[in-house]
Amino acid sequence: MNWGNPYDWTELEWQSATWGERFMFIDPYFWSYFGVALALATSIIGASWGIFITGVSLLGSTVKAPRIRSKNLISVIFCEAVAIYGVIMGIIMIGKVQTIESYPDDQIDECYTTALFGGYSLFWTGVSVGLSNLICGIAVGVTGSGCAIADAQTPETFVKILVVEIFGSALGLFGVIVGIIQCSGASFLKNCLT
Amino acid sequence: MAETIEPSAYFFGYIGVASAVVFANLGSSYGATKSGVGICSMGVLKPDLIMKSVIPVVMAGILGIYGMIVGVILQGKVSSITAASASKQGYAYLSAGLCCGLSSLAAGLSIGIVGDAGVRANAQQDRIFVGMILILIFAEALALYGLIVSLILSQTS
Repeated sequence: MNWGNPYDWTELEWQSATWGERFMFIDPYFWSYFGVALALATSIIGASWGIFITGVSLLGSTVKAPRIRSKNLISVIFCEAVAIYGVIMGIIMIGKVQTIESYPDDQIDECYTTALFGGYSLFWTGVSVGLSNLICGIAVGVTGSGCAIADAQTPETFVKILVVEIFGSALGLFGVIVGIIQCSGASFLKNCLT
Repeated sequence: MAETIEPSAYFFGYIGVASAVVFANLGSSYGATKSGVGICSMGVLKPDLIMKSVIPVVMAGILGIYGMIVGVILQGKVSSITAASASKQGYAYLSAGLCCGLSSLAAGLSIGIVGDAGVRANAQQDRIFVGMILILIFAEALALYGLIVSLILSQTS
């Protein structure tokens, strides 16, 4: 349908509106900045979750086996890396938001849909990066906790469980790679002349 | 003729201010109380270690300060939203507040739980103190990351 002013839409037009037409009046800047907040905040929640899961086991096991203390801090560092992934993605996404100065009169619909595209892609980048870093943080935390406890009993198991932990930390990296590809296509001004 | 400023910009901007302060203080309080319970339990049998063990409580208190800093900065920015990019600024300040607040909340959870376990373990084994401090520093850095991104976001115009 011809979009026009949504305040002028009739009841019939609202009934036949598509999902896109219902969501399009939410500002694209909201989607993009909320995506930034999601990417950062959920990554850091994942990192902190991992840090306290592994930290508690590390501290408890060190009581009887003080030698494990320094080696097992690497699990905490892996969790911290998850937070850094979130920070990197957040800063990349902030750089992708472009200001739309004005629309040429004959291109309002095309320009606005381009802006919506940019907004949606940044939001879902935030969701994919944030959720994968959340899960990665928990995974690294749990394996790190197992690593500390096993190391306290049998020192040979440290490196073997560390390999499992490295595989776990790759999950966050997958999220960052996909996120970078997702937001690299985000453009607020692609088809617009301004 | 003066342009009118989109009113929702103030709505979302002030949500950002509130969420920065509220969530950061939630994290700070959780960190302080959880480690505090550990200190009180530990202090019964090892009262000499109490003052050293107050470090997690201090580190958790810093999180509230981060939230306050971002809240004050954002409040100044929201009051001076310009008409040209009002809605963009409003959402950016919402995002800044959420970034700082939720990061400090996460850091506070971590500091509390690690601090509780750490002070109890420190009472049994002296060598744990350095390890506990290192883990607490990593947990505190999480809130710092949120603060940095919040300050970057608060600079949008």
